[in-house]
Amino acid sequence: MKNTIEKILKIDRRLIFLALTLLLVFPIVRPLGLPNKNIGNEVKALHDKIEGLPAGSFLMLSLDYDPATRPELHPQAVAVIKHAFRKDLRIMILTLNAGATGLIDEIGERIPKDIAPSKKYGTDYVILPYQPNPVAVMTQLGMDMFQIYDKDRDGADLKSMPVMKGIRNVKDMQLGMCITGTAMLDYWVAYTADKFKMPFAGGTTAVSQIGYAPYLQTGQLKGLMGGMKGAADYELLIGEKEKGTAGLDALSLAHIMVIALIVVANIMMLWLKYL
Amino acid sequence: MTLIKKHIPLAICFIVGLLTLSSYYVPTQSSEKYVETMNKWENIVAGFAFLLGLFSLFFSHTRKITRRVDGWGYSLFVFVGFLAMVVPAIVSNGKQMIGADLTGLGWGYRFLFNALSGTMFSVLAFYIVSTAYRAFRIKSAQAGVLFAAALVLMLAKVPLGQMIWEGLFGWTGAWDIAQIGQWLMDVPAVAGKRGIMMGLAIGGIVTALKIIFGIERQYMGKD
Repeated sequence: MKNTIEKILKIDRRLIFLALTLLLVFPIVRPLGLPNKNIGNEVKALHDKIEGLPAGSFLMLSLDYDPATRPELHPQAVAVIKHAFRKDLRIMILTLNAGATGLIDEIGERIPKDIAPSKKYGTDYVILPYQPNPVAVMTQLGMDMFQIYDKDRDGADLKSMPVMKGIRNVKDMQLGMCITGTAMLDYWVAYTADKFKMPFAGGTTAVSQIGYAPYLQTGQLKGLMGGMKGAADYELLIGEKEKGTAGLDALSLAHIMVIALIVVANIMMLWLKYL
Repeated sequence: MTLIKKHIPLAICFIVGLLTLSSYYVPTQSSEKYVETMNKWENIVAGFAFLLGLFSLFFSHTRKITRRVDGWGYSLFVFVGFLAMVVPAIVSNGKQMIGADLTGLGWGYRFLFNALSGTMFSVLAFYIVSTAYRAFRIKSAQAGVLFAAALVLMLAKVPLGQMIWEGLFGWTGAWDIAQIGQWLMDVPAVAGKRGIMMGLAIGGIVTALKIIFGIERQYMGKD
């Protein structure tokens, strides 16, 4: 018995990889449709904040994530954009992460197709080019943003676009939001939201979510989406099930597998020690 | 030489540091103009820093290839990867899409960078699961607390976890896993995080002041 347990404890890790692969592939191919009953308070707060904005309000959306964190963060971005367009908000999308440009192009491609076909580029939304040096950009956005963004990503004059009517800096915007897998959200809070009194919200990976709880408690962040669960919660709130909801089944099974493996391994360790 | 190498950089650092710091707290029109100018300068410097980094990367990997150091073959991929993205970027004038069509750069991003980057990150999940089984041993009270917190959060964050908890403890009617998870996030985690944030902030302020007043001079190099 002891030898068997020792063998199981030293199992080839490739078998664990295989088990995880099978566990993840199954719900992706055939979704289980597990009910998502508990919506996070911080996700609800973000939804309510956007829901409460009057039509024509301006949302600045900084998408600062790259393909590595795409599965968690891209569904968040899509869900927020869908909701904002439904509320007839104006949206300005920008990025301070060079790796995000292609993902933003994908969103730009999807808006006229299936996200919001009725919305017009330049009138209802605009996409700005990538800018290096995040802190300088964040500070400048609080003064005269056209000093740093004079053109959109296609080189068209930004100031003359109808979507930018009445906008000179972040003080003229009703909400800012940063979706990121890095520390960019901390910078946005420090250099833009706090300094220029701009209402701000965030979207982060699940592992980073816990670090932003202090900002939520102090009201520096009006709402927060964390990981795939946050995206799924938001999709549920707006009634548009997409990639976040689809990924939740696989996430559920992976969480349970981790718990089961830790418990089983520790029971076997205790067995070896005391029996 | 000391004047050029030491005194002038220290004076620039002192003056610019103090002006930038004070402009944050004194929002006048002239301080805004000053910050705007500095922001433009920063962006120009950042552009040059990109180039500098690129040259440094190339020199370092060229040296590895010419000297045939261990793993020099991987250095070749730095150049292959660079050319695979930069040549199409130059050809397509930096655009990833023209109308509804993907350019070479857009194709490289969507079908190479996207897949490679996603793969590298997702590999972590496999290592986490494997490590959870092979290395997470609850041998002390601290490890026990860590496991208990992780268990609650992992169950609270996914529907299946909530269903399992309800099945096991739902009959008590008192313990809701989502509420316990929220409490963990709102109270102990925030307390710890806030302590870390305060420590980091104080450390940042002290380091900034040391640089402004010329006590910390590592940025000037060794000469």
